[in-house]
Amino acid sequence: MKPVQLLSIEWKKFFPNSTFRVMAALYAGSFTLLLLLARLVGTNMNFTANGRSYNPTADFFIYPKNWAFLAWLGSWPNMALLGFLGVFMITLEFNHKTLRQSVIFGLGRRDVVLAKLGWVTALALAATAFYLVLGLGGAVLGGSGLGVPPLTCVSGFFLQALGYLLLGTLAGLLIRQTALATLSYLAYVMFLETVARWIFYFAVARTQLLGFLPEQVLSGLTPLPLPDAVGSLGGGSLLPLSVWQVSVAALLYAALFAGIFRNRILHSDL
Amino acid sequence: MPVLAVNHLAKNYGSVRALDGLDIIVEAGQVFGLLGPNGSGKTTLLGIVLDVIRPTSGSFRWFDEAEGVNVRQRIGALLETPNFYPYLNAEQNLSIVATIKGVAQPPLQSLLELVQLHERRHSPYRTYSLGMKQRLALASCLVGDPDVLILDEPTNGLDPEGMIEVRHIIKKIAAQGKTIILASHILDEVEKICSHVAIIKNGRRLAAGAVGSILNSEPTVEAGAADLEKLFQLLSSHDMVRKLQRQGGRLSMELSPGRQAAELNRLAFEQGIVLDHLVVKPRSLEVEFLEITRK
Repeated sequence: MKPVQLLSIEWKKFFPNSTFRVMAALYAGSFTLLLLLARLVGTNMNFTANGRSYNPTADFFIYPKNWAFLAWLGSWPNMALLGFLGVFMITLEFNHKTLRQSVIFGLGRRDVVLAKLGWVTALALAATAFYLVLGLGGAVLGGSGLGVPPLTCVSGFFLQALGYLLLGTLAGLLIRQTALATLSYLAYVMFLETVARWIFYFAVARTQLLGFLPEQVLSGLTPLPLPDAVGSLGGGSLLPLSVWQVSVAALLYAALFAGIFRNRILHSDL
Repeated sequence: MPVLAVNHLAKNYGSVRALDGLDIIVEAGQVFGLLGPNGSGKTTLLGIVLDVIRPTSGSFRWFDEAEGVNVRQRIGALLETPNFYPYLNAEQNLSIVATIKGVAQPPLQSLLELVQLHERRHSPYRTYSLGMKQRLALASCLVGDPDVLILDEPTNGLDPEGMIEVRHIIKKIAAQGKTIILASHILDEVEKICSHVAIIKNGRRLAAGAVGSILNSEPTVEAGAADLEKLFQLLSSHDMVRKLQRQGGRLSMELSPGRQAAELNRLAFEQGIVLDHLVVKPRSLEVEFLEITRK
């Protein structure tokens, strides 16, 4: 089946769904609200680091750091809402046995894999497009220097959106119950990996490899763009990873999540 | 050319063997019944040939095509309960089915009229009664005008009126010359709808063939006489009688094809035995089915 037909099937399934629409609206709303709040708070706030005083407005809202800062702001709805959307879209199918039914209707298992992976990629692209629109709009409104968004910011944002969507989808596929899968996903990205990483770091080995755990990599794609003098606090890494390191690692994780998804759909009972 | 050829199919769920080397052939134009008690493996078999369950071993072929050839769009199927998106209406759900089947201009209105859902076509699926859901599932099977229909317990949970409606629709479809594979544990349903049948129990095929030859509905005869032992001796050695057995103070038997109870009466009288009881009882399909499944 043609990719356009597969995407059309996913669109017909999810666009009329109220939860999907609410989550999409929440994503757009919360992302916009975060930007407005950051501007509102940022203009009135100064902070000191390493003996120097910084104005967040000056640092975060001037090109090209405005794009990195906006990507960092977007990392929160990416993590919470896109991840949940990934969980929801696959568990909805299992709850109503509609994935199985699609195969019964004649959709091949490979087409199921392509449809799902194509759909989450399309959603990640849509989220990235919204990031660009918000960035351009914010820059115009703020008058702080409209410019071409840095490729690393755009690609990092897209990879992060895709990574969270895939991670959520995988959690949904493996657990199959919406509430349990959502809780497991949120617990993992919010604290389980962090706690496990710190325990391992202090009790077992202080290895830089811990920076390559999935949540570390995904959050590291859009680090808070603090000035160099502040040091590496971005992404919450124990040790800093370069843009290229997190990008390659994120691509590998996306391929891994997609591979596990494909394997489960192709080879297990539906 | 067989529409479906199942070759030594087996499926294990842990230590449970759901299918145990099953062989079945369905020819074009047959209304083929899969008959068996609950848990006999009917749905597992259909799940495998519809690609939602992976077999442990064995193989199957649709339309004599090699594996990997996409033949599924020639098949319409209802497996277990109807499954649709509850927030979508009948038209939207059927539109998804049509896209899956690659049908550009599906005749949704006429399909919904056929299953009498036209008036409720804009209502969300979740508001439908079980009978309406089942009818929508039947409509979804017909999208793309498939050559083969697979129906798993299509009257499950329906009230008598709903059952009659669904059977009527199936008969109308069968009259168009389509091949239908119908799984059911309801003997009456299979007898009324199917031309051929396979009886399955514990994942094994116990019998297969034309319905008339498998589910013998020849009547049983009960006879009684003052000297029951003499009557038994007479009938046990006569080719008119089959499956002779004592039942209480009477004899129960089947007559050979073409023989009548009156001949039995005459035979006994000629041998000096006066029958004081002679009843012809229509043989129930349940008895026949139980005999086959208990073998």
